[in-house]
Formats: sequence, structure tokens, C-alpha cells
Amino acid sequence: MEQITGTMLAVLGAALAAGWSASGSAIGIGIAGESGAGVMTEDPGKFGLVLLLQALPGTQGIYGLLTAFFAIMKVGLLGGEPVAVSLWQGLGILFACLPVAIGEYTSGIAQGKTSAASIQMIAKRPEEMGKAIIMPAMVETYAVLSLLMSIILLNSIKI
Amino acid sequence: MPTPERYGYATARIRAMERRFVDQGVLQRMLDAEDLSSALKVLGETAYAPWLAEMKNERDFDRPISSEMFHCYEEVRQFVPDPEMGQLLRITYDFHNIKVILKSMLRHRRGQSRRWDLLTNLASRETDDLLAAMESEDYRLLPYGLSGVMEECLSVWEQTQDIVEVEKRLDAQLFRALGELAKATAFPGVLRWFRARVDAENIRNLLRLRRAGEEGVKISEFLHEGGNVSLERLVDLGSEPVESWSRVLHYADVAPYLAEMGEQGSSEAMLVMLEKALDDYISGMLAPFSYTPFAPENVLRFLWSKEIETKNVRIVLVSKTSGLDRDMVRKVLRRV
Repeated sequence: MEQITGTMLAVLGAALAAGWSASGSAIGIGIAGESGAGVMTEDPGKFGLVLLLQALPGTQGIYGLLTAFFAIMKVGLLGGEPVAVSLWQGLGILFACLPVAIGEYTSGIAQGKTSAASIQMIAKRPEEMGKAIIMPAMVETYAVLSLLMSIILLNSIKI
Repeated sequence: MPTPERYGYATARIRAMERRFVDQGVLQRMLDAEDLSSALKVLGETAYAPWLAEMKNERDFDRPISSEMFHCYEEVRQFVPDPEMGQLLRITYDFHNIKVILKSMLRHRRGQSRRWDLLTNLASRETDDLLAAMESEDYRLLPYGLSGVMEECLSVWEQTQDIVEVEKRLDAQLFRALGELAKATAFPGVLRWFRARVDAENIRNLLRLRRAGEEGVKISEFLHEGGNVSLERLVDLGSEPVESWSRVLHYADVAPYLAEMGEQGSSEAMLVMLEKALDDYISGMLAPFSYTPFAPENVLRFLWSKEIETKNVRIVLVSKTSGLDRDMVRKVLRRV
């Protein structure tokens, strides 16, 4: 029973990492997409620039998926034999997934807003594309830090 | 209640539409042009180009200017989430049309011709609907709470035959309706804009009434509630020289713009410069919203800027027809 609970806690951590990160990315891409559609209605020629900026908040979903893979591989649910996971080990995996779940959700939305603002910027000043990409890319730093912390924590749990 | 989050598409599209503005460089070239024909050629390089073909002759430049403004209003109306945002500026034209129809009806009673040529298509309501409601005397069909006011206006006209008294009541209703529209949007910037608009109108009325030799109670009848400056202070201001208005109103946002006017030789020049100062005041109040990417107030800022742009284009073209001094025209061009 304790082993099943431990495994289930690890699965919960993986689900939170993938689900919240994907939600953050979806909201962020949605926000940037609204702005992108507004700009392209007036100037369809900016599709390439808009697509690049709209895609930026999508990375959070990938980081969440990556962490979820790590978590379920750790308990042997993805390839190999299922391993015995104690309650405390399962809880540890759940906690290790939280930085990604929370960090990617929040940064996905924040990056979406910044990308949307950058899309508005290139609508008026297309020559400032470089600066327009740098601003949402700054938000990416904290998405990467969340991923890094989750991976370090997952690696530190010995099963 | 409307939320700013819904303006992601609208504000981005507005930002892209801002590239179509006639910039200062083009205005300068128009101003430096030899004659009206050359100035219109420069205007042909801008967003006004498609409408220039509508002109019946060179002096008919009001037509393309109105067409461009109408096109802009209609375009914004189609994608703005709250219809009130588009109506905030068009309501003035609705009331203009009501005044034209009412005056035409009164002229017709005296055996004079109607002046339908003065009607504008920039209003938010169909002119035919307004006309039908007025001619059938079914005032319940009139928008913006005009049903009650219209009967009062006609009654005043019957008693006094004074068109200024009639216009006073219509203007009061215009600002009541504008205040209700601004409150319906529930955006703080729109409410601030409304207060600034009331202040500007009150100050403008104040100068006009002073020129007409009015004072005290008579002045207060023409002022509107809801501005940043109290009516009592404005009535007191009526007895002060115009040059000291910025000092008396030092606490208000309008003061720096009034101070920029400086001293003018004649009361006509003073009125012209005051009009510019008040337009710049409202533009300056809306300008900071351009730094907030999703602020719904950007829609209002865009439409206001477009109105100011058409005003500048009109000033330049009129100066070409009447041969006004370029430096003088430069002074009265509004900031966009």
C-alpha cells in the first residue's frame, strides 16, 4: 500500500509539472496570439516576426513535459521495470516537480504578456525586432531556473 | 463590467493602425507647399489618398477628411469590445446632427430652406433615423436621453425664440450623456478623459462668454458639471484676465497648457490659441496610455489623435486657400 501511494505521489508530481506548465504556455501563447492577430489584420507581412514572438511562451510547456518524463522514468513507469517507491520518496518527487509546475505556469503567462507587448512594438517599429525579442526572452531565464531546480531535486532523490 | 484583458487584439491592431497617421514631416511639407494643389499632392501620399478622388474641386477637401475619419470610426467600431468606446467621440456629431435638424425644422416653419448639407455622416446614429424621429415628432425614438430634452427645447423656442437657449439645453444633455457613456465603460482613464473634456469645454465657453460681455450667473448657466475644476472657481475665473488663468488654476492639470498660450494681441487670437491649448491638454492627458500595452484607453487615445490629425490637416489646407502666414499656422497646429 505504501509503495502504491509513493508511486501515485510521484505520478501526481509529474502530472502537475506537465499540466500547469502546459496551461501557462497555452495562456501565454493565447495572449500573444490575440495581439499577433490584431497586428496581422493590418499588416499580414509581419507574420514571420509575430510567429516567432508568439512561440516564445511555448517553451514552458516543453520544460514541464521534460520534468514529467524525468519523474515517471524515476519510478520506472516509462520503460524498464516499475521500482518500489516509498511514501517519502514519492513525496520527494512530488515536491521536486513543484518548481517547474509553479515557475513555468507563472512565467508562461508573464512571457505571453511581454511577447504581446513586443508584438505591439514591432507593429509600430519593425526595425526594433532585436529589442522586441530580448524583452520576452528575459522572462525565459526564470523558466529555465525552475527547470534546473526541479531536475537537481529529482536527481537528488535516491530510489 | 468590462475588463481590460479583452483589449489584447484591439490595442495591437490600433498600434498597427497608428502607422497610418500623418506625421509632422508630412504636415510640414504640406505647409511648405507652394499652393493648395501641391499640398493636396503631398496629402495623396498618406492614408487620405483613396478619398481624394471624391473631391468635386480642389477646395472640397473637407470631403476626403470626413471620409477618412468615418472610415477610421467604422473600422474601430467593428473590433472594439465595448461599443461605448467608439461612441465617446461620435456622440458630439450625433448632437450636431440633432441641432442641424432642429434648426432646419425651425427655419422651415419660417418659410426658409432646410440645411441638410450641414449634416455629418460621422455620427454614431443613422441620420435618417434621427430625421424620422424629429419629423414625426416621436421624440421617444431619439437616443441619449434627448426625448425629454427635445420637448423642453421646443417649448423654450416657442416662448423665447432664442436659439442660444435651445442650444444650451442640448449641450447640457450632450455632456450628461457623455458622462453616462464614460461611466458605462468603467475604465479610469476614460473617466479622467471625460473630466478633462468637461474642463476644456467649460474654459472654452468661459472665454467665449467673456467676449460676448456675459458675467456671473449667466456664465454659470453655460458651464457643465463633472470636471476637475469646480463651477464656482470657473465663475470667479470669469472676472480674471485670461493671462492669469494658469496661475489661478495652478493646481489643475490644464494650468501648464494655459501658461503656454502666452499673451495674445487680440481676443480672436486668444480664442484660437486657447482652442489649441485645450486640445493639447486632452492629448497630453491621454498620451501616457501609449506606455500601457493593453490599456483600453488606447482606443480612445487613437480616435482622439485621429480627430486632432484631421484638425491639423484641415488647418493646413485652409491656410493654403486663404494664404495665411506659415509661421502663424505652425503655432496653431496641435500636438499629436
